[in-house]
Amino acid sequence: MQLQSRHYDAPDMAEAMELCYAKGWTDGLPVVPPTAERINAMLAMVKLEPDKQIAFIENRQVSVTAEKVAINAVLAGCRPEYMPVVVAAVEALADPLYGYHGPATSTGGSAVLMIVNGPIARELDMNCGDNLFGPGWRANATIGRAVRLVMRNTIGTLPGELDRSSLGHPGKYTFCIAENEVESPWPPLHVDRGFKREQNAVTIMAALGVHQYSNGLSNTPEGVLTTACAQMRVSAGTARKPYYALVFAGEHMAVIAKAGWSRDDVKRYCVEHTQISVAELKRINLRDGAITAEDETTLVSLVHEPNDFLVVMAGGLAGVQSAYIPGWGGRNGSQAVTKEIHRP
Amino acid sequence: MTVQIFDPTIEPKGRKIAYVPRPKSLAGLRVGLVDNSKHNSDQLLLRIAGLLESEHGMKAHVMRRKKSAGIPPSPEIISEFKAGCDVVVAGVGD
Repeated sequence: MQLQSRHYDAPDMAEAMELCYAKGWTDGLPVVPPTAERINAMLAMVKLEPDKQIAFIENRQVSVTAEKVAINAVLAGCRPEYMPVVVAAVEALADPLYGYHGPATSTGGSAVLMIVNGPIARELDMNCGDNLFGPGWRANATIGRAVRLVMRNTIGTLPGELDRSSLGHPGKYTFCIAENEVESPWPPLHVDRGFKREQNAVTIMAALGVHQYSNGLSNTPEGVLTTACAQMRVSAGTARKPYYALVFAGEHMAVIAKAGWSRDDVKRYCVEHTQISVAELKRINLRDGAITAEDETTLVSLVHEPNDFLVVMAGGLAGVQSAYIPGWGGRNGSQAVTKEIHRP
Repeated sequence: MTVQIFDPTIEPKGRKIAYVPRPKSLAGLRVGLVDNSKHNSDQLLLRIAGLLESEHGMKAHVMRRKKSAGIPPSPEIISEFKAGCDVVVAGVGD
């Protein structure tokens, strides 16, 4: 396929990697030099012409083509079979509900959490178990990285320029997981969000860092979730009602499953038990104004509605750890989006 | 052996935006204020409106709040400003 991008010559592969650094195309880690052969292998996997538009970012007036997605997927170290997941995630970035500009630009510093569902996650050997958010799996590491490189290189989301994150977090290198669909007692997340079990899908959420909590004392769902809710209640630090991802690992999941709780049961419990009084929000400086007597009894919710909790089972089967991940800002500014992964 | 590598970046395509002619004077004009929803943005905008009224003779202001700083004002807000304002002050920052 005829590629349209500018190209440069380097004397050898090592110098090509250095040239990528010199051009400012990397996230700080070494990249795979994007040669025509590697780029075309990516495009062949999705059967897309190089000039096919994958996403149009309205406020930047940027058209992200299949060719640019492929080049960045090569840079990130993706295998060609990962390309359909990267394409779907980039499509999701341009969904107006995701609201790219806010989370990409904000001083609030979010990453793109990606949750991959469907048979493709197992076929690509995506990690849904031990060390879920840690290193060690090529698919998780490079798919998430490819999306961030697309943001950097095609949409101009550069640190200190159009990415004004005050702090950022390590998920901005890569933040891609799969759900443990095989051992989860619940339908997969993408089914909960309107897709069929046999479909492949990726859900993206503008996300802050992973907050791990430990509870080795409880053998009831209420006990485990009490710990989660106590921490979530103020965790996003904004009181703007963002999405929250809830990730239940092995032993906590077993406790919840044994009690027969559905995903909706978990959502409902968390909605109810993460409410906070206006007075407390004022005491911790998340809301301004003097505290009134009414504030002590006026409760506000953490999220807009139960489905703003994205609930998945993933992580190691051993251990009494689970995690919640606050979304960026508020749902009014950015919503989680799920896109089907197409494999022609 | 020479290695040929391809550029992953994009130059944004230019888009022409037609600006409304700037008023020669603000005297008697109506100002709209876009509250970006951040803490104290309303206070800052009211100070600006006060200065526009006291120093430049603007005659009224209307302030409307966006749902989130990162998204455009709703179509309803834009329609209201188009119908009732001559000048709009908008901005975002921390």
